[in-house]
Amino acid sequence: MSPLVELALLNGVVQGVIYALVAAGLTLIFGMLDIPNFAHGAFYALGAYVAFSVIAHTGNFWLAIVVAPIVIALLGVLVDAFAMRRLAGGGHVYAILFTLGLVLIVQEAIVLVWGADPTSVDVPAALDGGLPLGVVSFPYYRLFLALVAALVIGAVWLGLQRTKAGAIIRAGIDDAEMVACLGIDVQRLFTLVFGVGVALAALAGALILPLRGGQPAMGNELMAVSFAVVVIGGLGSFLGAVVGGIVVGLTQAAMTIVYPAASEVAIFAAMTLVILIRPYGLFGAR
Amino acid sequence: MTRFGALAALILAAPLVLRYPTLETQILTFGLLTVAFYLLLGELGFLSFGQATFNGIGAYVTARILIDGHAPLLAALLAGTLAGALGAALIGALATRGRGVYGVMLTFAFNEMAYYIAFQWRAVTGGDNGLGNLPQPTLFGLSLDDPVRYYYFTAVLVLAAFAAVLRLIDSPFGAVVRAIRENEERARAIGFRVERFKVVSFAISGALCGLAGGLYAGVFHFVPLQSIDLDLSSNIVVAAILGGAGSPYGALLGAAVFIVLSNVLSHVWAHWPLLFGIVFCAVVLFFRGGLWSVGGYGRRAAAHP
Repeated sequence: MSPLVELALLNGVVQGVIYALVAAGLTLIFGMLDIPNFAHGAFYALGAYVAFSVIAHTGNFWLAIVVAPIVIALLGVLVDAFAMRRLAGGGHVYAILFTLGLVLIVQEAIVLVWGADPTSVDVPAALDGGLPLGVVSFPYYRLFLALVAALVIGAVWLGLQRTKAGAIIRAGIDDAEMVACLGIDVQRLFTLVFGVGVALAALAGALILPLRGGQPAMGNELMAVSFAVVVIGGLGSFLGAVVGGIVVGLTQAAMTIVYPAASEVAIFAAMTLVILIRPYGLFGAR
Repeated sequence: MTRFGALAALILAAPLVLRYPTLETQILTFGLLTVAFYLLLGELGFLSFGQATFNGIGAYVTARILIDGHAPLLAALLAGTLAGALGAALIGALATRGRGVYGVMLTFAFNEMAYYIAFQWRAVTGGDNGLGNLPQPTLFGLSLDDPVRYYYFTAVLVLAAFAAVLRLIDSPFGAVVRAIRENEERARAIGFRVERFKVVSFAISGALCGLAGGLYAGVFHFVPLQSIDLDLSSNIVVAAILGGAGSPYGALLGAAVFIVLSNVLSHVWAHWPLLFGIVFCAVVLFFRGGLWSVGGYGRRAAAHP
């Protein structure tokens, strides 16, 4: 394999893991809470901008990738407690519309607070440079990014499958009334899930910041790709989000070698193919 | 039909009272888009997040035929309308394979795909420079290169389209579409080919969008890349819901309010979309009938999910 191809595929995997992280949050919120969160990309963008502010004030990147998800999780908890609960059970249309309204608010709020011009931050000094691969080298920062994203996805999955809180949440999805009868505050747990879901998007935004910088509309582009990811993987399936993310990342990377102009279109072509063969996605239920 | 008569009188008198014919033409073409959106959400119960796709297809096809084919304006608009219908039928057939949220996400994703195609295919669309230098619009030898004349040309076509939409809603076809909205399985069990009705609904909605795109191209002799942008799709959703998703009149009202407010507010406060977002969220939470329901006109309080 030519080193350039190798590099492109490695980049594809890294990008894919980031997509997986975003899609995992999206699919968590939909699968567990039955909320189609169209504002997921807005939380991603907001995460990047909060990280930007933390870095601007403290110069500490490590602090930024911890603070940004926490801040956005708290915001998510507020949104869920005050609005999403009210919309629960009223069908998907109004939840989609409400989160669309959130997108408008967040996007303009970003312009108001941080300005319309793109922002950028440097890669942290400790991760400068790259892993030598023959004639080329692969940036350490990208490896770090993929590693963090993969670890977080794994931790969330383990939390759901192996902890008591995870068991209660899964039981709450199957039969919220029964779990409530056992004296457990299901709503509070669901709100927590919403917070964790949007925190994953915020973490992705914070991690991508040194690579791509930030711009107010960065969430919209990601949203369309994330939809392709969950359609391919199957909405509500955690495994599907991961596999879908990698598939989309690799598709995009492969196309940048073959025919770069069509690298975005290829993502949606792959999505169309899945829709035709398996309307519920590769790992979707029903 | 008295309500329609009042609407027609209002539209025909508008440029005599408020002399902003170009802005008023924009209201009409945008109104066609919100009405097309209403057809899918209000009647079929399908939230389409990709209406700009069909607007863009119509705009590019109309413009290309005017530029390359030197065809009459009406023929070019007809081609744009048909192209919008065809594109919508295709995307509708794919998007309605996914139930519920899947369908919405698919219209969104296909819109982004269409945007990238338009962005990259510079030879045809002009990419992000847009497609300019459209010939002056003429109708049977009469020049329409006058804002008021073009307004009336648009007004006649939009009113005709709106009348057709009202007729369609009251037709047996409309009744079946609403039956699908209320209970898809039952409609299927009765024997209706549900998928076919969905695709035809999309095609009709897409035809209206295609016409709107073509008419808009004629106003400025120009097709901007924004014609096929997701932001436009999002604006269509916002305007239609603000106006009232339970009635085609509400959708039209929403378009007028959206265009006027965004023009006025953008001079007052650069960050007006923030206010729009807040008002929109409030409407979704507390006030689902939108503006149209204010005077008790909302026959159906809001669209059914």
